[in-house]
Amino acid sequence: MYAIVVGCGRAGADVANRLSAGNHAVVVIDNDRTAFSRLALDFDGTTLVGHAIDIDCLLSAGIERADLLIATTYGDNSNLTAVQIANKQFGVDRAIARVKDPIRARLFGDLGVETLSSTTLVGQAFEHLLDQTHTSSNPVPQTED
Amino acid sequence: MYIIIAGGGKVGTQLARDLIIDGHEVTVLEANPAKARSLEDELGAVVLGHDASEGRWLREAGIARADLVIAVTGHDEDNIIICQMAEPLSEGKARTIARINNPKNSDTFRLLGIEALVDATDLVMSMIERDVSTDSVVHLMRLQSAGLELIEVTVGHRSSADGTTPDDLGLPERGARICVVLRDHKPLIPLATARLQAGDSVILVAQTEDEVELRKQFLGP
Repeated sequence: MYAIVVGCGRAGADVANRLSAGNHAVVVIDNDRTAFSRLALDFDGTTLVGHAIDIDCLLSAGIERADLLIATTYGDNSNLTAVQIANKQFGVDRAIARVKDPIRARLFGDLGVETLSSTTLVGQAFEHLLDQTHTSSNPVPQTED
Repeated sequence: MYIIIAGGGKVGTQLARDLIIDGHEVTVLEANPAKARSLEDELGAVVLGHDASEGRWLREAGIARADLVIAVTGHDEDNIIICQMAEPLSEGKARTIARINNPKNSDTFRLLGIEALVDATDLVMSMIERDVSTDSVVHLMRLQSAGLELIEVTVGHRSSADGTTPDDLGLPERGARICVVLRDHKPLIPLATARLQAGDSVILVAQTEDEVELRKQFLGP
């Protein structure tokens, strides 16, 4: 698989390392060159300095032949825009945006954009942990996003 | 109208001032707290010091009853997403206008369904084109969604327009229309029977793809 990872923060570097370790071809984009130091020593892909929504940058990354784009920058809006460009302009098979704002994640999910809400995931993980350690006499309150 | 302005920079602030004077109800969303406070000092209690692309703050700002959302932050991705969110959050009732910061991104705005765009670079370019143009066809305005342009063209010597009335000219079938003809900066009246002559300035609405044809008719050999 040919994958583009946009954003080389902790999450982006992690997913890029995993894909590379799984023998996929990976290109990682970040606008800060120093971010690439987060990649593993045995990371086997390529890196590209550029901006998430810059078409020229995405083209240089080979978006026309990409099977997967994962957008993990710190900006929800950059991620959502990059993923929509991948879907609508380049017909990338699968494109997933990390979105911290749960409302935004749901709205764009309804529009057919695949999102992963890190906020909701962490909330659910905590809830799950607490469910396991607490007895039913001490229930964890349910929260909305 | 109830108008939400996303971004309290220079553009957003000036828009808010003007719209308030025109009697509109306005809320400005500005994520930078210091900027938001100084805006509030000037404009009063119409400022929310939060990020407009966060769903909860658009709701708090009353997106459900907004007639218009104007996204004028300094970041194109924010302006795109704010406009896209305004649609479902207002149940399709709010119209949106977005500012383009980087002209490179204008295709992306359109790709993602945002049609009402203000591109400062584009505006400046068309003004320069108008003022210092060596070309005789000037683009005054683009009606993007309809594929129409408002253009100004100067009638050339021995062109097919030179000496012809607008009715006899046979403009492209798809709907090119002469709006007005200026001779010595004054409109020609009545228009239909007036004979065009070299040097006249003709302002017309035309399909973008008819421009080549119109050039031939008005500029001549």
